Amino acid sequence: MEFIGDSLVIGLTEHAPLVLAAMGFFLLYRLTGLINVAYSETVTLGAYFGMWMNTTFDLGFYTVLLPAGILAGLVSVATYFLIFRPARARNVGALELIIISLGLSVFLRHALQFVFGYPVRFYDVPPPDTINVLGVGVGSFRMLALAMVLLAALGLYYFIQRTNLGLQIRALASDEGLAEVSGIRPLLVTVLIWFVAGVAGGLAGAFYGVGSSVAPLLGWRQFLLILLVVLVGGARSIRGVIFTGLATGIALAAMSLQFAQVLYAQLVLIVAFVIILKIRGNPLADTVKV
Amino acid sequence: MNLDWLDAFLISGLFFVVMVIGLALLLHLQLGLARIANFGVVGFWGIGMYSFGVLFVQVDWTIPEPWPFLISVAFGTLVAGVSGLLVGWLIADLDTDGVLVGTLGFATAVFILATTEQELTGGALGLGGLGFPYDIGTVKANEALWLVILTVVVGLILYYVHRVHRTPYGRLLVALGDNEPLARSLGKATYQRKLWLFAFSSAGMGLLGAMNGVMERFLATSNIGIEITLAAIVGLVLGGTARVWGGVVGVVLAVGFFDIIVQSYLPLPQEWYTQAVPVFREMIFGAVLVAVLMFRPYGVLGDMRRDKLIRSLHGS
Repeated sequence: MEFIGDSLVIGLTEHAPLVLAAMGFFLLYRLTGLINVAYSETVTLGAYFGMWMNTTFDLGFYTVLLPAGILAGLVSVATYFLIFRPARARNVGALELIIISLGLSVFLRHALQFVFGYPVRFYDVPPPDTINVLGVGVGSFRMLALAMVLLAALGLYYFIQRTNLGLQIRALASDEGLAEVSGIRPLLVTVLIWFVAGVAGGLAGAFYGVGSSVAPLLGWRQFLLILLVVLVGGARSIRGVIFTGLATGIALAAMSLQFAQVLYAQLVLIVAFVIILKIRGNPLADTVKV
Repeated sequence: MNLDWLDAFLISGLFFVVMVIGLALLLHLQLGLARIANFGVVGFWGIGMYSFGVLFVQVDWTIPEPWPFLISVAFGTLVAGVSGLLVGWLIADLDTDGVLVGTLGFATAVFILATTEQELTGGALGLGGLGFPYDIGTVKANEALWLVILTVVVGLILYYVHRVHRTPYGRLLVALGDNEPLARSLGKATYQRKLWLFAFSSAGMGLLGAMNGVMERFLATSNIGIEITLAAIVGLVLGGTARVWGGVVGVVLAVGFFDIIVQSYLPLPQEWYTQAVPVFREMIFGAVLVAVLMFRPYGVLGDMRRDKLIRSLHGS
């Protein structure tokens, strides 16, 4: 019983940023059909932006959180206008677009080292308050991350399923031509999606960063799990992504408690997810446009 | 033999360039012809290197040299090939997204195993004890000879790729990459072809990994990062994914410029070589991928001249 409680608490709080990042990635993937490898750098940049504002202007973590997310969202929109939109206009193929996004990811990952410096950086924050949840001590930042994920999940779900703009997004993802003749402005909706996805990734990055350290590989190390959560969980809707993300976090925590090596937990999950994809295929790929 | 004219940096730079050319040629078969997007090149290269190194160092060999060495190299190649067969089975009928996940996942799995299995691999501390299967005098002479042997191996790979382009098998791979359902509807065994292509080219990557392990003489997890995959992809894309010589030209231009010209001949401040130059190199590699695929998608050499190929085949 204690093991289950520990797994639940640690999994939900420690891996909450994974759900946030996966939700952002899902929106982008659902709309564009693009596996955007450079999304990992949106996550990394969120961590760097937050750390930079925190250490340069002496602002608290809670104060820098939203600006960090917004800056990451703006970078995400900039990559759309500078790279992905022109590429699409040039009819670049699906595989080539993935390679372009890999190139952009590598470029951003190394360019940011010339801006923020080579060494690993840290947020300058006081030690977080510890809250006792089911006998497990959890840092206040992690509790906030979990609360924010739940809020963002509810907000995004409401936004996509219940608002007019969400309806437009779903229409655009299903049939761009039909959506356009129905009066939907594709550019506005597309930009909005890239921005919201960037904000989600940036916030996730800030939470990852404050929980450990800020390094160029921060987002890249999470990318495979984000991708797996979206491909395995996102076949139906954003609910699947949220559920799979939370389940992944709990499974990672449970296996980390069992195995001597934390990395084994990741290994088991990677193998399990790839086998699921093999058996089930990727239904999402059939429904999205490229 | 007097090798004073040969700089040690030049030997290691040339070795890396030739090795990446080999990887780019094998990737050309997978990505350029069959359109299998292998983003986990380093996984197959790394598992070949580690399988070779672990067997060679950890087994208490009682048979005379060079058999332990040769058996270990063969083992590294075999393990990479079997891994290719397994990963190929997982991804052969998946879309590009699934292939990305499968190959990237495999590379991550190899990294995790190399890190966690400390008793076998040395983990983050690394594994020493590797060496050349011969001794012809100095370290420099041994390295130079190993470079020559690698060049012969990569030359054979180039010859094989060149031959593939001129066989029905090569044309089947191109058809498979262009339109797999159509090729299947014509009765071609597309699944099996992809599977064996992936297994054999992965085995080749493993062989190159084992040869790199000999040159490095020390296995470290820091060597099995995405940089290897990136160098092969950049070289292939820059030269032209569809052309036999694409990988060769692209790797010489990209990797050769940084790892030979910049490393050995440009008079840059010494402190730049530790961080600024490697970071700048990767940054430029990323930019090259974006720029080439946006503005010259067929690379420096351009599209495959199939019309010329068909004329030569039919003699008209």
